[in-house]
Amino acid sequence: MQVYSFYIFDRHTECIYSKSWFTPPPPASSSLTSPSTSRPQSQQPAPHASSVTSPPVASLVVAPPSAAALKRSKQKKDDDAKLIFGTVFSLRNMVRKLGGEDDAFIAYRTGQYKLHYYETPTNLRFALLTEPGALSMRNVLHQIYINLWVEYVVKNPLSPVEHKGGEGVRNEMFEMGLDKFIRGLM
Amino acid sequence: MSANKAARVGEEIWKGRIDKVNAELVTLTYGTIVAQLCKDFEADYVEVNKQLDRMGYNIGLRLIEDYLAKSNTMRRCSNFRETADMIAKVGFKIFLNITPTVTNWTSDSKQFSLVFEENPLADFVELPDDGRAQDELWYSNIFCGVLRGALEMVQMQVEAHFISDVLRGNDTTEMRVSLIRYIDDELPPEDD
Amino acid sequence: MSYYFAIVGTQDNLLFEHEFGTSKQGGDGQPRFSEQARHMNQFIVHSSLDIVEEVQWGGGQMYLKCVDKFFNNYVSCFVTGGNVKFLLLHQPTTPVPTASTRSSTSIGANPTSPQTEEAIKNFMLEVYENWVKTIMSPFYRVNMEVSSPVFRQRVAAAGRKYL
Repeated sequence: MQVYSFYIFDRHTECIYSKSWFTPPPPASSSLTSPSTSRPQSQQPAPHASSVTSPPVASLVVAPPSAAALKRSKQKKDDDAKLIFGTVFSLRNMVRKLGGEDDAFIAYRTGQYKLHYYETPTNLRFALLTEPGALSMRNVLHQIYINLWVEYVVKNPLSPVEHKGGEGVRNEMFEMGLDKFIRGLM
Repeated sequence: MSANKAARVGEEIWKGRIDKVNAELVTLTYGTIVAQLCKDFEADYVEVNKQLDRMGYNIGLRLIEDYLAKSNTMRRCSNFRETADMIAKVGFKIFLNITPTVTNWTSDSKQFSLVFEENPLADFVELPDDGRAQDELWYSNIFCGVLRGALEMVQMQVEAHFISDVLRGNDTTEMRVSLIRYIDDELPPEDD
Repeated sequence: MSYYFAIVGTQDNLLFEHEFGTSKQGGDGQPRFSEQARHMNQFIVHSSLDIVEEVQWGGGQMYLKCVDKFFNNYVSCFVTGGNVKFLLLHQPTTPVPTASTRSSTSIGANPTSPQTEEAIKNFMLEVYENWVKTIMSPFYRVNMEVSSPVFRQRVAAAGRKYL
């Protein structure tokens, strides 16, 4: 099974975490993403927030991508997240309207992918994109919430309560745990 | 969920899924915090109450997630009465192993009391006998903040305060909780 | 028998004092110190601290039994782990006849009999238990005078129970 990407939205509808596993190959100029402008990838998880500002060794030998390209890719990422939130939020509201307050929107599928959705009573929303034939990932998302989110993000006393701009979510334990967990499914 | 079922759920989680910690460690840690606040604010107990409430609020914002994870709660309570039962029989049970009594409902089901027969925070405590602490300090005021913070995260704005405390010489320790409103879902900002 | 109980802190400072009488053998629990003796009690108890400091490291015991005697006043001591001393001065109503062939076993009459020592030990242990609870209050600081009415009640209760 292929997992494409994963998003977390907070109760203020902001995307506070996103991660891709299989994405279409990016333009050549932005093949190396600097952690200072985009979220660190799984191969190079930031040990903690402060290291995000220090340039990785690799960027010393390769010319950094042009600022414009980085801006474009970040812009695209933000737009994707916004679109996904808009979609799942509308679907969730529609489902509730039709099926009653207790009904939950769980997933939708297109020819290319399947989007799995999970929402906590604190209005934290998780969205996971997988290949179209995947089975229900509701339980997977629930596990991510209780075993990774609560354990590593919520219980980290130094992490803020609100994760504006993703602050506090990008911690090593959470990212590593998530990556391991998702790769275990593939 | 009925009150009886909530009690069973609370008991089950407490037995199976909770890491236990020495009660005196909790009591003494909390006691030190309160005593230090009293010292820092020069026995301005009104301010101490406020600080305790604020600390509790910050705890509540996080604690609710742990509560939801441990109790495997997937859906909202259907009404405020159910919320009250879940607070008393699951929330207090799994975090402190106590079950305050839910009572004194108003007829509109928007206000209730939690009566604490036991309170692990207040073991050994005797309030300072400066003639004011007995009338001004709400020693366990952190609880009010915890409830306020936790319920805010599940979209309930509440107001909570103590109305009596055995430490002050009252017969019971009672907290009053009032539902102010349910908070609506936040909407995504309009795109320009 | 009349009792004067004092708790002395680590700086030899008085933290708590309480006077009471025996409740055994029909005693009414009231102290029978004369006005003059009352003034003396503190001095007697404090003067015994030197002896306490000598013997407290000897046996590794917390209960040091009867450590000092001043005329008809007997001082028993119990040292807590935090080096706080519980001192109990007991004064029999009538002086103990030193030449008595068979020492009386009643608590009231013979301050050094094993029965008395045992009773005082029980009293001390109960006070110790309540002492620990009292100093666990977050508002209590080391070497602060104990003014808690609850503690006083409990000391009085322990006195009634054992002495």
